[in-house]
Amino acid sequence: MLDWLKNINKEYPDFWKTYISKFEKKSSRFVVVSTETSGLNPDKDVILSIGSFAIIDNSIVIGDNFEAVLLQYKFFHDNGLSNEFLVESKMKKLGEPEAIKLFIEFIGNSVLVGHHVDFDVEMINAALERLDCGRLKNEALDIDVMHRKLHDINDKQFSLEELCVAYNIPVSDRNSAAEDAYKTALLFLKLKSRLGIK
Amino acid sequence: MNTIAEHIADFLKEYSPFNHLSFEELSEIATNIRVVNLEKNKILFQVNDLLHDSFYVVASGTINLSVIADAEETLLNKCFAGDIFGLRPFFAKNNYMMTAKAREESIVYAIPISTFRPFVANNSEVLNFLLESFAVNTRNPKDKENLIGKLISDNVFYSDQQSEMQYFQSLVYNTTPLKTNVTAIIKDVAQLMTESLKNNIVVCDNNIPLGIITDTDMRSKIATGRYPVTVSVDKIMSSPVITVVENVSLAEAQLLMLKHNVTHLCVTQDGTDKSEVKGIISEHDLIVAQANNPGVLIKEIKRCQSPKELKQIRDRLTDLIQTSISKNIPLSHVFNIASEINLAIIKRSVELSILDLGSPPARFAWLSIGSQGRKEQLLLTDQDSILIFEDVAADKYRDVKDYFLKLGKKTTATLEKIGYELCPNGHMGSNMLWCKSLTDWTKQYDSWMNTPGENSNDLSSIFFDYEITFGEQKIEDAIGNVVFKNVKNNTLFFDFLGNDALRKNSPLTFFKKFNVEEEGPNKDKFDIKTRALMPLIDGARLFTLNFDIRGINNTFQRFKQLSIIDPKHAEIYLNCAEAFLTLSKFRTLEGLKNDNSGQFINLEELSKIDREKLKNALLPMRELEELIKSKFQLTQFS
Repeated sequence: MLDWLKNINKEYPDFWKTYISKFEKKSSRFVVVSTETSGLNPDKDVILSIGSFAIIDNSIVIGDNFEAVLLQYKFFHDNGLSNEFLVESKMKKLGEPEAIKLFIEFIGNSVLVGHHVDFDVEMINAALERLDCGRLKNEALDIDVMHRKLHDINDKQFSLEELCVAYNIPVSDRNSAAEDAYKTALLFLKLKSRLGIK
Repeated sequence: MNTIAEHIADFLKEYSPFNHLSFEELSEIATNIRVVNLEKNKILFQVNDLLHDSFYVVASGTINLSVIADAEETLLNKCFAGDIFGLRPFFAKNNYMMTAKAREESIVYAIPISTFRPFVANNSEVLNFLLESFAVNTRNPKDKENLIGKLISDNVFYSDQQSEMQYFQSLVYNTTPLKTNVTAIIKDVAQLMTESLKNNIVVCDNNIPLGIITDTDMRSKIATGRYPVTVSVDKIMSSPVITVVENVSLAEAQLLMLKHNVTHLCVTQDGTDKSEVKGIISEHDLIVAQANNPGVLIKEIKRCQSPKELKQIRDRLTDLIQTSISKNIPLSHVFNIASEINLAIIKRSVELSILDLGSPPARFAWLSIGSQGRKEQLLLTDQDSILIFEDVAADKYRDVKDYFLKLGKKTTATLEKIGYELCPNGHMGSNMLWCKSLTDWTKQYDSWMNTPGENSNDLSSIFFDYEITFGEQKIEDAIGNVVFKNVKNNTLFFDFLGNDALRKNSPLTFFKKFNVEEEGPNKDKFDIKTRALMPLIDGARLFTLNFDIRGINNTFQRFKQLSIIDPKHAEIYLNCAEAFLTLSKFRTLEGLKNDNSGQFINLEELSKIDREKLKNALLPMRELEELIKSKFQLTQFS
């Protein structure tokens, strides 16, 4: 109980204060997020990589992106797993604190977009908690929810692959957080125009 | 590190001009790209819009480029994956001069000009590519293939006036004409002309043209005996010559020739006959300049060495058909021209296969069946053909059949490369079943016609529309004899065909609405091929066989002929003939618009008047059906 009281005078890291201050203005920038995780439990599992793109004026800005592989030494050590596949990756490698910090700076006050985005947000929140930060304040849109709203379907969830097939997006054989984020971004553009969201 | 940027660079490097750049450069460009999704019919930019800060590459889908003139939208070009458009901001400061609209849901990459400009400046090949494509202001279909990557010009040209535009192109002409001087002897000059295969020679004094001698002069002044061959050329030359400046347009040249009633024009430095000769324009040059002339196309087909060349010509035929229709040239005439060119293409394909395989071991005939057999193929539909070879000794049969199967496979493969899809039912000369000896074919037709329905699975009525494309005419005649011998008093066969013709669903519902597709990818579209054209085609075939009319395969002409032979029902036949043309036109326009076979008409895109026109064209079908029912007792199979 009264946890929030404890937090009221808590000193947050600087990057978090900057992040909070960004929300004084409303953003027209969307950020598509996709994370790869070690499992489905936000309390125990960790983020392994993040792929993310910005959408401005109905177009994906390829250059405005964030991609990173998180070197979860502690997690792998605790669980007795090998993290070689992460070390061997050619992507930019960061420790979790640094990656989350950069990611928070990247998203700013943008609206987050993702496929089953609640889970991604939960994972990021768990990582933020480890850094003594609060929870994400961004609005978040889920493309699966958008799709179901468009077709008035309530009793079913759709995987990213199913959505790609439904909207004619070529499925590539390469699989990564960035790849998923790009597909999600295309789906978002298509759904956005169909739903008439400005 | 940006994974997606690398994927995009991977995509771009397949296309011009990006293939001139290194992967690192492409990655850098890709990093600055914006990806835009365009829903169907979304306009990216339109005439008079301010220039965007980027140009575009199609990633997927189709973008139509068009101009709007006199309230009519004219399609200039279609851009497919890898095509570049919207280059105007590179070279010009004024607003867009065309409209870019998504024909289907599409994704395009927007490449910022500021990012790309340094690469253009540093790489002359890229610059040239962009300049060239921007400078081309008419779409010369001849060059379509040569323009690597099919880059699309950004200047305005009207495709429906394309052939008129050609008139204002400057001509390509002979810039090294034969020359001689006034003292030369006619006999020597004639020898010189013969050797160099020219029909004209300019008589000059220090390169100043004094006169010209053409074949006409030789005929009218020498062959008639008016002058001996030993006099000097000045006696017979036509003088003065009609001179023009360089860069004369086709239209101007044609006018001058008509005005002065000459066949050659002399090009001089300043356009008068007091300056140096630069070249000779002959009537032939004018013909060649009109590249889409059907005669020229056929001539070129005969010279083609590869499927690729033939494909270019087939593309030009599409343009020819499109302009012909937009100029309201009677469709029956267009049918004729198109079928002659198609025929020549198939013939050449067979020839190419023979050149490759060596001469055939027996005489044979390659028959086109189906739409090409009826000479009704305007669009690139699928290919149907059969191969009949003469009977050979039993011990040779295997080798012979083997050769012809190979020939069939090669030819159909060539045709597929040209753009004629393989027949989904396998009705092709490459199929074991449809590549047989004359005896086997005779048996086949006998069994089809005398016991229809028994093994009707492989009987398709298209086998009764055949046209010889290549080979021995006698073989076709033999098959014709078999067919017409079997037709006599064969009620069973007519019963079968009649039922086949009537089995198609009616095009209009009880409430006189169009019967549209209820499901599938073509939902809510009207299937003009099965519901409207096929009944007419089947009906026409049925009656021509019944009235023993031979040698006429075209549905339109069949109806015309029927109205003469069976005057009692002439009105019905003539209505059907007209209806057939109208329906074909609808189908062709739809096909040209969408680059497909035009089988499904999107009714929503038709104007109200067009819809009524289409509906009216469906009415004569009823009368034809009634006629079939009353004429043939359709009992056995119904």
